[in-house]
Amino acid sequence: MRIRVPKDWEIRESAVTPESVYRLRNRREFLKTLGAGAAGALLLRSRSLAAMTGFPAAVNPDYSGDGLKVTPYKLVTSYNNFYEFGTDKGDPSENANHGWNPEPWTVEIAGLANNPGKWDVEDLVKKMGGIEQRVYRHRCVEAWSMVIPWDGFALAKLVDLADPKPGAKFLKMTSFDKVTGSQDGGFGGPYVEGLRLDEARNELAFIATGIYGKPIPNQNGAPLRLVTPWKYGFKGIKSIVRMEFTTKEPINTWQHLAADEYGFYANVNPTVDHPRWSQASEQVIGGGVFNSRQKTLMFNGYEKQVAALYQGLDLRKNY
Amino acid sequence: MGWAERLFRSKVFVWIVIVLPGLYPAWPILSGDPTVLADPLKYLLHHFGFVACILLASVLALTPLRVLFPRWRIALALNRHRRLIGVSAFFYALIHLGFQFLHEGGWPTFFTDIKKPFLFIGMLTFLILLVLAVTSFNFMVRWLGGRRWKNLHRLAYVAAPLAAFHQALARKLFPVQVLWIFVPLALLEIARVARQRMKAPAAAPIPAPSRG
Repeated sequence: MRIRVPKDWEIRESAVTPESVYRLRNRREFLKTLGAGAAGALLLRSRSLAAMTGFPAAVNPDYSGDGLKVTPYKLVTSYNNFYEFGTDKGDPSENANHGWNPEPWTVEIAGLANNPGKWDVEDLVKKMGGIEQRVYRHRCVEAWSMVIPWDGFALAKLVDLADPKPGAKFLKMTSFDKVTGSQDGGFGGPYVEGLRLDEARNELAFIATGIYGKPIPNQNGAPLRLVTPWKYGFKGIKSIVRMEFTTKEPINTWQHLAADEYGFYANVNPTVDHPRWSQASEQVIGGGVFNSRQKTLMFNGYEKQVAALYQGLDLRKNY
Repeated sequence: MGWAERLFRSKVFVWIVIVLPGLYPAWPILSGDPTVLADPLKYLLHHFGFVACILLASVLALTPLRVLFPRWRIALALNRHRRLIGVSAFFYALIHLGFQFLHEGGWPTFFTDIKKPFLFIGMLTFLILLVLAVTSFNFMVRWLGGRRWKNLHRLAYVAAPLAAFHQALARKLFPVQVLWIFVPLALLEIARVARQRMKAPAAAPIPAPSRG
């Protein structure tokens, strides 16, 4: 067996600057993105050294995003839907960094689980065996998309840790009620989302604690958020405080607000339109003015990994 | 004539006020605002639609202001520019439609989108504005005759609530700005109708029954 010793000059693939960022208009733009990322993240919120452990994370070769064009960091961290911090796309990056420090943070595991409890996020990550990087497509229900390198761990590992009881069929997740600078967001309460237990155990379901090899910024859902790349982005609940195993299908926030427009499953499906706009295509964020529209793929291109979950389910009724 | 009245009588001034919002997007685009660069066509779409709504609401507010405040010289001065402001609302709507077309990638999506209620209503609003713009020329007024022209242009009062509806349904949640733009207009119109009814009652006055 050939044992490969990396040369002194070799760096981890996750440390490589995405080509799209590197090819920004000029050197000044490029440096700005670095500033916004590393130095900016440190300036905006002091992070204990413990949180930095694990970064940058090794790329999981199964989800290396081969052939995908990664969205520039600057756009991923300034074009957000996080209504608790304002409803304009630029609001969360401004308002979520005014004194809110999501540290320390506790996640409660509750409900029909054999191993419930309260976990400090740092300890939880250690218990999960550290983090890895996965490059996933991200598709918003508003018909725009990004490609994001998430750092975190598989949700399936957390489900195994919690050891759900036989009656548990769903995983209900809740976000914070109020933190510094946040408002109601028009939700009337904390953001709620949920998955079927088998969806939560799917290989793709991911809990992200970082992006681009750095701790996840507040506006992206610090300190940990759900990533389900085959579903619309609103399924990706941010800043999770509680995970509860239930027997009943939870009513997620957007379904509660407008059940005729948003459902529980939220699977990306170009053949099932939103009542007010088509889902057949999507705008690539940062794609510029011309040729930045692309066809939306069934299950956001993850049909191979998740189609089996929905055999026999009428996706037109269960949107 | 005070300087303010002179200013508001000036066509040049009104032209500048109308064109400036169209040039405004250059600022965030050139300064590299990431929320704009993320989806520039969408930003421009929303911006031009927003300005079109403001212009439409503004032009419809002018007559009520004149009726309610007949001695306010600035309201009188602005009333000279109703055609200019109205037609510019159409042009902003046209550019807004253009950005929608570009953003959605051309004809195929355009024809499927039209089936969606709020986009259908938007198209209807645009068609009304088109008809009004095309008949805004002096020779059109003469050709149609004053009465027919006036009745046709009453369609502007249909365009306004349609525009409000279209704008209201454009985002996930109801945007408050729709209220800011159209509620003041609605209040002005109600007040104006009330005032006009008071000044010239619709039916011939019936002698009041004697009390006694």
